[in-house]
Amino acid sequence: MKLLAKTNRIYLAFSLVIYLLTALAFYQIVRLLIYDEVESRLRVERRDFETYVRIHNSWSSSPYFVENKIEVVPVSKRQPVKESFRDTLILNRYDNELTPFRQLTFYEPIHGVMHRVSIRKSLIQTYRLIEVITATMVVFLGLLLLGMFWFQRRLSGQLWHPFYDTLSRIKQFDLSTNSSLDLSPTTITEFNELNDVLQKMAAKMQQDYRSLKEFTENASHEIQTPLALINAKVEQLIQTESLSETQTHWIETIYQASRRISRLNQGLLLLAKIENRQFNDSQRIDLANLLTQKLADMDDVLSFKHLSIQVGPVVPFEVSLPAALADSLVTNLVNNAIKHNQPQGRIELTSTADQLYLRNSGGSLTTEPERLFERFKKESSGPDSVGLGLAIVRQICDSYGLRIAYQAANGVHEICISRA
Amino acid sequence: MKVLVIEDEQGLAESITDYMVKDGYICETVTTFRDAEEKIHLYTYDCVIVDLTLPDGNGFQLIEMLKRLMATTGVIIISARNALEDKLKGLEIGSDDYLTKPFHLSELNARVKSLMRRRQFGGYTEIRFQELVVVPQTRKVFVNGQLTTLSRKEYDLLLYFLSNVDVALTKASIAEHLWGDNIDSADSFDMVYSHIKNLRRKLLEKGAADYIQSIYGIGYKFSQP
Repeated sequence: MKLLAKTNRIYLAFSLVIYLLTALAFYQIVRLLIYDEVESRLRVERRDFETYVRIHNSWSSSPYFVENKIEVVPVSKRQPVKESFRDTLILNRYDNELTPFRQLTFYEPIHGVMHRVSIRKSLIQTYRLIEVITATMVVFLGLLLLGMFWFQRRLSGQLWHPFYDTLSRIKQFDLSTNSSLDLSPTTITEFNELNDVLQKMAAKMQQDYRSLKEFTENASHEIQTPLALINAKVEQLIQTESLSETQTHWIETIYQASRRISRLNQGLLLLAKIENRQFNDSQRIDLANLLTQKLADMDDVLSFKHLSIQVGPVVPFEVSLPAALADSLVTNLVNNAIKHNQPQGRIELTSTADQLYLRNSGGSLTTEPERLFERFKKESSGPDSVGLGLAIVRQICDSYGLRIAYQAANGVHEICISRA
Repeated sequence: MKVLVIEDEQGLAESITDYMVKDGYICETVTTFRDAEEKIHLYTYDCVIVDLTLPDGNGFQLIEMLKRLMATTGVIIISARNALEDKLKGLEIGSDDYLTKPFHLSELNARVKSLMRRRQFGGYTEIRFQELVVVPQTRKVFVNGQLTTLSRKEYDLLLYFLSNVDVALTKASIAEHLWGDNIDSADSFDMVYSHIKNLRRKLLEKGAADYIQSIYGIGYKFSQP
């Protein structure tokens, strides 16, 4: 939920509760006031009645009191002498409707006989008053609420504008380009501070990114050049006619070792580059098709190792990847399937629109399948493997929204790539 | 045939030069951008081997300069940078080949030879070695005038040997020449062996002498028996 929508919603809910409480309190107060008024008038009438009875010592339904206004009933038994107020509904003779009344009941002896006297006052006017007051209040409080809501929205929209501006610029900010993060200054101190911090952070990140990129490039150069030198010198040494068998063996070992370091270096650099997101020319690539091609390219190796290939059913499995990485991914997968296969073994490729399976026959694993994705984790300790192939595959998958799983059972190794 | 090697790593430059000189090239070496610039302006070369990262400049600029001055000079980039963009950029501005360090000297030699053939004779030149004749344009091999059918890998292998006559070639360099950098398994050496066996058999069948010698522990050498 957006910040403004959230604050608006909270504001609206809070004001509604407050307004409802206010309305309720208002209603109660008005009602109390009216009752107080009606009751004090009823008491006055009671005094009038008592005065009348004391003077005349009798009661006749005087025309002074209109219908239902007073009811005098003789009571035989002793009754409590306390006066009491209560609400009552009385049928109106004219329009045959029940109308609300407030009634004061007290006991008065007339001619020595105790009478229960009930004096009533219609509440119909006061009810109307309450209705009008309530309606007015609802309308005005509602208007106030809406007005405040609108104002609040406009105000916070304007206040938070620099924030949203900053946000959209950060979203567009690309670390790998040279353009720096430009945020416009605002009149609000906090946002200015935020922008300052962000700009500094972005500049630092860009600088770090650049130096990291330079470092990987330089490291590559600095390591590959001496390796090239070693290789060149070893090659020259090999040309020497008078080498003993031991010497050729040593040379061979040096040569192998230097080539291994070189592959290791290239693998680590590739990993670093993927991690640093130095590849950014992603395009739609059909991995299933690429794998099929790669398997076809390796026909020499496959026929030499007597491996059979079974492709299908294959449905295009399209992913968004930089071309160089897609190639590296596919090469590593195929190399892995060939390298860890058995003689007369098989390689199977199937795919659906969302999943791609590459299966190969092979010996049972001694390590957990998931751990094979770790760097330098090798199943066999063969000198020809540096143990980075699957780590590279994993890194590419992780960085470009793909999920990869490795399963091995009954001599079948299965790698499954799916969209995360 | 004049070759200019622009490489700041002195030892590597020496090795390349030695290798080339032994093969009959006239070879000059410079280690800085400035010296390279001077040489390019003063002399004409058939082929320039250039490193991209030089202490005082960038190899790309040298190539651009060279192409402006002398468009027919062949250019081979040797670089530790293996990024695809670098390779594409290199080829775009007019270089003919791109080798990633570390490389085999024999591979560099084969590429230079192939480049020279393409540049100077449009590929029409024949390669002769005793009774062997190879016509790269049509990929045909003749032994004593008889056409010999070779598979693609056997042909590539023969051409690689012919580019490096009298030179001991390692199994790794042969494997990488035939299958590319991705071949890094021990099996590739067995594959090399089987291809060499086939090539030797086919050449012997047509009456050629046995030129392929195996060198214990290292690889093979193509030379007069």
